[in-house]
Amino acid sequence: MAESNAAPILTLQNVCMYFGGVRAVDDLSLEVYHNEIVGIIGPNGAGKTTVFNVLSGVYIPTSGDIFFRGERLNELPPHTIISNGIARTFQNIRLFAKLSVLDNVRVAFFGHIRYSLVDTFLNTRAKRDEEAAIREEALRLLEVFGLADKAALPAANLPYGDQRRLEIARALACKPQVLLLDEPAAGMNPNEIDELNRTIVRLRERFDLTILLVEHQMRLVMGICERVLVMNFGRKLALGTPVEIRNNPEVLEAYLGKVRR
Amino acid sequence: MRVKNFATPLLVVIGIAITFALSYYGLVNAYYLQIAQYVGIYTIMVLGINLVNGYLGIFSLGHAGIMAVGAYTSGLLSKYVLTDPALFPLCILLGATAALISGFVISIPSFKVRGDYLAIITLGFTLILKSLLQNMEFVGGARGLRNIPGNTNIMWVFIWLVIAIAAVRLFINSKYGRSTMAIREDEIAAELVSVNIKKTKIVVFGFSAFLIGVSGGLLSHLLSYTNPNTFGYAMIAEGLIMVYLGGMASISGSFLGAALWTLLVEILRPLGVWRWIVGAVLLIIIMIFRPSGLLGGRELNIGAFLRQITRRDSAKAALEVANGGK
Repeated sequence: MAESNAAPILTLQNVCMYFGGVRAVDDLSLEVYHNEIVGIIGPNGAGKTTVFNVLSGVYIPTSGDIFFRGERLNELPPHTIISNGIARTFQNIRLFAKLSVLDNVRVAFFGHIRYSLVDTFLNTRAKRDEEAAIREEALRLLEVFGLADKAALPAANLPYGDQRRLEIARALACKPQVLLLDEPAAGMNPNEIDELNRTIVRLRERFDLTILLVEHQMRLVMGICERVLVMNFGRKLALGTPVEIRNNPEVLEAYLGKVRR
Repeated sequence: MRVKNFATPLLVVIGIAITFALSYYGLVNAYYLQIAQYVGIYTIMVLGINLVNGYLGIFSLGHAGIMAVGAYTSGLLSKYVLTDPALFPLCILLGATAALISGFVISIPSFKVRGDYLAIITLGFTLILKSLLQNMEFVGGARGLRNIPGNTNIMWVFIWLVIAIAAVRLFINSKYGRSTMAIREDEIAAELVSVNIKKTKIVVFGFSAFLIGVSGGLLSHLLSYTNPNTFGYAMIAEGLIMVYLGGMASISGSFLGAALWTLLVEILRPLGVWRWIVGAVLLIIIMIFRPSGLLGGRELNIGAFLRQITRRDSAKAALEVANGGK
C-alpha cells in the first residue's frame, strides 16, 4: 500500500474525446492516487460519464493518454482493461435481467477464470474446483451487500436499491484496483445516501480500492471524497478538497450556486 | 448425490444396449424406429440452433446451410473415402468439423452487425450454399448426392444425442455459458464486466455449428441420400418452429420441440399439405400464449422439483432449479 502512494495509480494526460464537433471531454488531465476517493461533479452534459467511458475502453480518446499503473490503456478493448483492474457500474442500471443474482456476479469472474474450453467439455477437476471456488466467492460478495439470501432470484425481480447494490457487487467480482461508480446514489433518499457513504468507505478498506465516482448528490460527494474534480463543458473547472471546491467562486457560479439550498 | 453420479452413466449404458438391440435385431416396427431417429437427429439440431438463437440471443438463419455442410461432407467422405462402415463415426465427426468451420465464418459478421441485418446475412449464407450445391456437379448438382451408405441407426443417434446433451449442459453451466447468456441480456454490460465478446461468440457459433453438422451427417446417412432442396426455406422454418415450440434456451425444451414437431408431422400425415397449416396455426397459438416456448429458459428437473414440493430445504432446491440443476 505504502510503496504505491508515491506514483499515481491512474493518470489522464490531456485527454480529449470529440464526437464530431462536440467536445465531450476537452484536454482533461488528472492524477489519481492509490486508495483515494475522487469525486467528479458538474452540470448535465459536462462530460463526466464520458470520462468513465474513455477509462473503461468504451470510447477510444481522440487524443491524450491514459496510464494505469504506468501502462498505457488507450487502445485496449474494454474486457482487457476490466480484467487488468478497472471496473465500473452504470448510471442507468445494466444488470443481466433474466440471470439469477448469483450468475450476475459469477459472469464478472470471466476475465480471471483460468480453465479452458477443453476443461469445460471434459468437466475436469480443474474446472469443477474453480467453479466451486467462484461460487463460494460470489456468495461471499453477495453477503457483503446483504444479497446472499436472494442469490437464486432473477436480477430483474430485485427492488431498486438492491439492484444498485448488485451492480457494485458485480463490479467488485472483476477484482478491480480502481472502481468507477457512475451516480451510485441516483434515486436514493438522504438516509440511503448516508448508508451508501458508509458502504463505499468500508469497501475501500476491505478491497483496497481506489474509487472514482460521478455524482450529483452533494451529500455523497462532500461526505466521503478526498478530492473533487469539477467539470464544465468537458473541461476541468477546478480540482481540490471538498472544502476548497465549496468555496471556489468559479464553481459556485457554474454549478453549486444553483444547487445549494 | 453419489447415487446420482452413478445413475447417469448406468442409464446411458442401458440406453446404448437397448438401442443396439433395436438396431441389429429388428425388434420394433421400422417405421417407429425411423421416427425415433428423426426425433434424436432433430434434437441435436435444435440444441445447436438453441445455442445461438436461444442462449446467445442472436436470431440466425444459418442452420440449414450449416446442416448442408455437415450432411454433404460426411456423405462424400463415407461414399468415396472412408467407405468402411466402422469409420462412420469418423465421417460424422469430420462433417461436423467442416460445419464448425462454417460456424466460425458466420460468427464474424456477428461482431458488428445485429438484429434483422444479421438474420439477412445468415439467410444469405444458407441460400448461397444451397445454390453452390445445386451447381456443383461432383456433389450431384440439383439431383443431390445418392447412394450414401445408410449407416445411421438408432444406436448411433442415441450415442450422439447423449454426447450433444452432455456437452451443451457442461457448456451452459460453465463460464462460457454464463457469458453467452450475459451477452444476450446486455452485450455492453457483459463486455464491461470482463467478458470477451468476440471469443464467446466464436465459440458459441462454432459449437452450435458442430452440433448442427452432426445432425446433418446423421440425417444424410439415415436417408442414404441428400439434395440441396432439403436445406432451403423449409428446413430453416422447421428448425425455428422446433426451437420456439420446445423453448428458447432450454435443453429439455429442445428435445420436447423436436419430439412434438416430428410426431405432429407424422400424425397429421393423412391431411396432406394441410398439415403445414395446422403446424403453423399451432405455432401462432404458442407464440401468443408462451412467446419463449413451452419450456423457455427452464429445464425439466425432476429431482429438484420434487425437493421443492416436499419443501425440504426449499431455498437450496430453488437455487438448484435456478441453476438448471447442479
